[in-house]
Amino acid sequence: MNRLIRPLLGAALIGLSVGASTALAASTPGGRALAPGVKVDVAPAPGSGPAAAPGAMDDSALRYYARIGDVERLEAEIARLRALDPSWEPPKDLFTPQAATPGVDESPFWALLSAGKFAEARAAIAEQRRQSPSWQPSAKLLQELDVAEGANRLRGASDTKRWQDVIDAAAAQPEAVACNRLDNAWRLAEAYAELKQTDRAFDRYKTIVSQCPKAKERRDTIFKASRYLSPEQLRELTAIGATANPAAGEDYTTVRKVEGELESGRLLERLGNPKGGALSAADLSRVEQTTRDKQDADAAIALGWYFQRQKKHAEAQSWFAEANGWSPSDKAAEGLILALAGMGKKAEAREAGTPWRGKSSRVDQALKAVADPPRGGTGGGPAAPQGPSELDMALARNDFAGCLNAVQRMIARSGPTAALVQQRGWCLLELKRPTEAEAAFVEAQALAAREPAKSDKPAKPTSRRANSDRGLEDNATPAQENAYGQAVARLATGDVAGLTRDLPRANLTTTQKAEIRASLLATEANRALEDKRYLDALRLLDARKELEPEPRNLGILRGWSLYNLHRLDQAYALFKSLDDRLSTEESREGLSTTWKTIYHDW
Amino acid sequence: MTPTRRDLLIGGTAALLTTAAAGVPPLWAKPFDAAAWRDYADRFLRPEGRIVDTGNKDVSHSEGQGYGMLLAVAAGDRAAFDRLWGWTQRNLMVRGDGLAAWRWQPEGGVTDRNNASDGDILIAWGLLRAAEVWKVEAYRAAAVAIVKALAAAVVVEQAGLTVLLPGRDGFRKGDSLTLNLSYWVFPALRAFAALPASLLPDPALWRKVADSGLVLLAKARFGAYQLPPDWLTLDAKGGVTVAEGFRKQYGYDAVRAPLYLALDGYRDPYYFRPFAMLAAKSGGDAIPATVSLPGGTTTQVPASVGMLAVYRLACELAGTGNSVTVPPLAATEDYFSTTLAHLSALAAQSLGIAP
Repeated sequence: MNRLIRPLLGAALIGLSVGASTALAASTPGGRALAPGVKVDVAPAPGSGPAAAPGAMDDSALRYYARIGDVERLEAEIARLRALDPSWEPPKDLFTPQAATPGVDESPFWALLSAGKFAEARAAIAEQRRQSPSWQPSAKLLQELDVAEGANRLRGASDTKRWQDVIDAAAAQPEAVACNRLDNAWRLAEAYAELKQTDRAFDRYKTIVSQCPKAKERRDTIFKASRYLSPEQLRELTAIGATANPAAGEDYTTVRKVEGELESGRLLERLGNPKGGALSAADLSRVEQTTRDKQDADAAIALGWYFQRQKKHAEAQSWFAEANGWSPSDKAAEGLILALAGMGKKAEAREAGTPWRGKSSRVDQALKAVADPPRGGTGGGPAAPQGPSELDMALARNDFAGCLNAVQRMIARSGPTAALVQQRGWCLLELKRPTEAEAAFVEAQALAAREPAKSDKPAKPTSRRANSDRGLEDNATPAQENAYGQAVARLATGDVAGLTRDLPRANLTTTQKAEIRASLLATEANRALEDKRYLDALRLLDARKELEPEPRNLGILRGWSLYNLHRLDQAYALFKSLDDRLSTEESREGLSTTWKTIYHDW
Repeated sequence: MTPTRRDLLIGGTAALLTTAAAGVPPLWAKPFDAAAWRDYADRFLRPEGRIVDTGNKDVSHSEGQGYGMLLAVAAGDRAAFDRLWGWTQRNLMVRGDGLAAWRWQPEGGVTDRNNASDGDILIAWGLLRAAEVWKVEAYRAAAVAIVKALAAAVVVEQAGLTVLLPGRDGFRKGDSLTLNLSYWVFPALRAFAALPASLLPDPALWRKVADSGLVLLAKARFGAYQLPPDWLTLDAKGGVTVAEGFRKQYGYDAVRAPLYLALDGYRDPYYFRPFAMLAAKSGGDAIPATVSLPGGTTTQVPASVGMLAVYRLACELAGTGNSVTVPPLAATEDYFSTTLAHLSALAAQSLGIAP
């Protein structure tokens, strides 16, 4: 078990008032250094004697923590002893080296305990008791061991989803689920919830948010509970957490806000789900308000798609435009293109895609909807449709099954073309059918070879007023488009090794190559994290970042790599910035785990 | 090392044993004395020198030979000891590596040549006791040879622990080991560790084995009572799970763990509490012979008299306040139960918790 000593020991000590004479002093002679730059003044030892009545309190743990400089635990232990006896004062000679007490020196056992070697501590104690039958280990040592073992047992049961064992372990050792082991308290509540004993789970959560003093703990608890409790229960939980047993100096307004955040999150989730149905006017205006307040581009995009699915293209367009204004992205541009296409404003749609053209596959995709209709559609059948074709409309709705049907019908009507089959490939990819998609791109390539007139021209000769030279050079030929499609399909099937091998020789534009390379690096980074090669993961992510800005999911991955390399401050800062932008289960998990590790608050 | 009361008892002087009967509380099984040994030998020791496992089709095994040799030394019966050791050498020490084949059947003799490490350990310990009591150097030399063979064949390092394979062959699966904690005969391991370095290259190895056994007994705790399994798996990282491929239970094997700890003078309640808790939870009803792990399903089969004697000992040492009534040994009590009862009596006497 790696324990990290919290950097600012001084701040913790000031609040302790270890005797009147304990103060933070820059360089008091005789002061005892606990950490670089931090010294604690101690009372003169000779003749002063212990302050507390001898034998009144078991201060063995206290002395041990003082000796090894574990101020975090020292503080907790002082608080505990104070709670037992408010008149108790910590001994003034806490930091004075003690003459070895007659009998048995407990420090080896404490050291094993601190190192997380509970079984080894038990073995050493048993051996000592065998050798000195009259010796008894201190009650504090045994209690700490009992609690640590109980906590371990509970975690093991929870990790392997033995929920009843979790409950038994907590019953056997209630201290293992106290506020200072918040994670275990959550695991116990989760065990009840998993066993469908929701009332008991609710009770546990209520205990936590009323007993644990820190606002952050209460807030995190409500987020945790949101997986299992009803909105009504969460409202109650929030009310309790915001008011019950307030601790001095804690600001519980963040607890009160949780409900709104959860509600917005839930609504956004419904917004993003095509089967989520329509939101009530009140809910909708609530989400719109929060989105504007936070200038949350991701939420704005979700709103855009919500309206786009309902064919309210103007509203969709305005949300995508908002999103793009707050934080320009190819996702926002993609929505904008399709919303404008839905409004019949093809030229504006093409213009909206310009900055991302050739740099983003999703924008290139979307632009197909406003490109000239595929050749198959111009067969001159009866009453050729005016305005967007069936295929265009399907694409504008992000309806990829509809796309396949449309392509199928067009091929049935007038035979396959490279463009149509390629379109089929893209739609298959969107439907997560990469193997078929790859086959479609291969077929499109073969067809393109038999369509000599177009083979060496750029695939989409529209809207070429790009203001960058790259825009020109990056217009892909049909062959390049097909090769690109195949590469994306191979990525989706997980053929990383093969793709890495073939990439240098592939007929792709520079930007296409960069994009595929970036995806490969992301895949490799994921694999490195899984293999616990954290430095490699960071190296791969850094290499990728030179090609493209880092998306959120890879930011999370970077956070865990930093965490596992014990670069906790960096991990925390990263998770924090991700969480501030959009608080999701992933970012909250990263944030709270890192926080708990930094403050060893398990 | 000064001799303790335990050394005297296990070492055995007939005089001490015969006087131990006075003032026995009625709840205890009878103390192990000369009469108890005569009865034991009558029932389980065949004239040729083998102990028969009456619960298992009258086979003999290295474990039984070891127990028989120890009890013979404790009772001061050198003739019986020599018959036991002679039969063991002739019939079980046939592997060529200094260890004993684990089982001998009336039909067919030795059919499985693998060893059982606890049998070898008990035999070696019996020989060491005999060497001390009767001052016979040949016994000590024979013991040392077995201890060396054990060190070479079954002592391995895993995840920072020094552990005993239950037999030389068949207990490694990939990078995991299958172990049996009832093979840690703690007082025997202590006796090995106390051998002079002039006889054994690394006596301290056995201290490490014993220490690791204590660590494993603290780690291997499962189910509501936190009992050790009969068979466990130790993975490469030191993780302990109930072994696959064996009955996932606490039972006839693991019940010996507290017995051996007590025999070695351990009295830390932590190590006896799981067994005392099981006894306490059974209340007035029979204590079950086995408990499934981690589920906690118990058998209808009640614990035997010998197992009850172990529970009584465990309750005393755990300080849980409960007690266990141990009925007298029945005339038909089997070999295993009778042996456990006698060893429990020896442990209780040596710890001073029974006369």
